[in-house]
Formats: sequence, C-alpha cells, structure tokens
Amino acid sequence: MSDDTTTDAEVPQGSADEQLAALDLSEEERLVLARVADIVRRINYGTVVLVIQDGKVVQVEMAEKFRLR
Amino acid sequence: MSEVITTEVTPTAAPDDRAPKIAVRDLVKTRRSTRGSIVTAVDHVSFDVHIGEFVCLLGPSGCGKTSIINILAGLDEPTSGKVLLDGRPIAGPGPDRAVLFQEPALFPWLSVAGNVELALKLIGTSPAERAARARTWLTNVGLGSFADVQPHELSAGMRQRAQLARALATDPDVLLGDEPFGALDAQARELLQDEVQRVLLEREGPKTFFFVTHNVREAALLADRVLVMSAAPGRLLEEVRIGAPRPRQLDDVLVARVVSDVHELLMREVARARAEGSDRPIVQEVDDR
Repeated sequence: MSDDTTTDAEVPQGSADEQLAALDLSEEERLVLARVADIVRRINYGTVVLVIQDGKVVQVEMAEKFRLR
Repeated sequence: MSEVITTEVTPTAAPDDRAPKIAVRDLVKTRRSTRGSIVTAVDHVSFDVHIGEFVCLLGPSGCGKTSIINILAGLDEPTSGKVLLDGRPIAGPGPDRAVLFQEPALFPWLSVAGNVELALKLIGTSPAERAARARTWLTNVGLGSFADVQPHELSAGMRQRAQLARALATDPDVLLGDEPFGALDAQARELLQDEVQRVLLEREGPKTFFFVTHNVREAALLADRVLVMSAAPGRLLEEVRIGAPRPRQLDDVLVARVVSDVHELLMREVARARAEGSDRPIVQEVDDR
C-alpha cells in the first residue's frame, strides 16, 4: 500500500474502465453511481450523502451552497 | 428491498421556471433611531420563495429578519424595493398569510378552541364548520383534550401549538414564522419542530412556509432552502439548498453537516462584524415603531 493512504482499505488500481470492469457492477449499483454523478455535475459547492441500509443505498441526500455576494 | 429508493434530491430542478409565490426585490428598510440617525436594517435584499417551499431566513440578532417578516405580513412597508405576493405588491395583512409570532397572541378570555374558531369566523367559515375544524386542528397538534381550557392554563409550548393550530385551521397559502419557537425550552422546541415536520408531510395543498430564526439547527431541520444573512445591516450572504427527506433528525449526516457549515459561516460573520464595530444592536426590531 502506498504511503499516502491512512486506511487499510484496498486501493483500486488501473484505469477507470479497468476498475469498473473489475467491480462488475450490478444494474442497481450502476443506477446509484449514475445518480451520484448527475448530482456531482450539478453542484459547485456542497455535500452528497448516501444512506445505506442492509447493504443497499436507500437514499441519496444532498445540500448545495451558493455564495450570494 | 429490490430497487434503489432514490428520494428526490433535486431542489435545484423545477422551481425556478415557475412564478414565485413571494418575490423580494432589492428590499431596503431603514428606520430612524431614538437619537435621530437613520439606521439601515435591511440592505438591498432579493430572494424568491416558490409555492410549496419551506424557506428559513437565518441571521444574527439585529440583522433585519423581523423587519422582513413584518413587511411580508403586511404590518410594515419597505423603504424601497418591491415585495410581491403572487406578483402583486403586499398592501397589508390578509387571510392568505398567517403569522406565527414568538409570543402567541391568544385572547385570554376565549378558550383554546374559541381562539381557533374566532380566526375561522374572521375568514367567513360557517358556524357549524368552525367547531369541527377547530377540533380537528387542535387534535392534529396534540391539544385535542385541551380545547375547552383557557390559554393561561397551557404551558408555553402548548400555547405555541394552539397558535399553530389556529394558523393552519384558516388554511393560509403562506405560513410566516417570526422565531416561532424562540421562547420555548429545548424539549418543547423539539416537539414543535417535529409537529411542523409532520404537518409538512401530511399537508394537503401546496403550502408555502417562510420562517425567520437565529437557530441554525431549526433551519437545517425544517427548510428546503436556508438563506443566511449578514450582521447589521442585513444582506444575504449564502443560500443552502437541502435535498433530504422529512422527517429529518438533528443527527442525520447531512443535517449535521449543514448545521456545522452554516454555524461556522455565522460565527465568522459575527466575528467580522464585531471586529469592524458594526455589531451594535441596530434598533429594537420589534418595538421601535
């Protein structure tokens, strides 16, 4: 593991396509990722929270901030 | 659970192409202080509130929040700028807007139900329907068994519930709140916040809510959008759109995150104002007229 990580989680390697292929995502998982990507594209500053129950994403919440002056 | 439940998380979508319920444009409110100088309470503030939205206006005390509510309620007039309801300038108080005040103005000589029924009488509800609607709404806010007591026999939290029942019974388009839970103890406040969240979930028509508060948690719990104001003179600093389902809890990750972000912004703002010496309480917002 590289020195700049502080967790024990395995760091995925390879290109985006290789990583996605390695994960072999289900339809459900791809839907979640699509939803998250869509939100991330629309937000400039903010937070996205995934609520997980029983191993499944049951809710996607977000807060977006706008500077007004 | 077989499918992904994606709660609607797109507050940035739809609302903007519809005509706003409330439109505030370049609002300025100045007052003459007791020493004769002109004090700016609200300094060029613009925002919209759309039908069905719950917007909280948040800011340090003395930033002009109450001035804005009073103008929206029709109790006060802008010095300059426009304040429109359904595209028309607000000319005075009206049955389309109910206001929750910090101190509920219940008539002490009427029973709790009598207070609600009086409000219904004033909007022209038939006598038979008044009693039934008053009972229904008092039951909805948990005061079903207190309908016949006098307001002074209620606790502060219960009086505030009675005020909420009275406001909602008249079925207003817009519910305005001026620190409605500000004078309550922490438990009563939480119960009422839950109550409001329940009303939000169960409401029939698209009610529009606009509350001013200096309580960051309250804003994060209740609002679809939080507008953060600067210290006096009040300007808008930041808007936070919250896409999280109700009922919310204070320890929800997103709510907690919004609370800490907004709290930090407000603390920076108050510190900045103090450093510049502009944090004097400008005028007593309520009593100065």
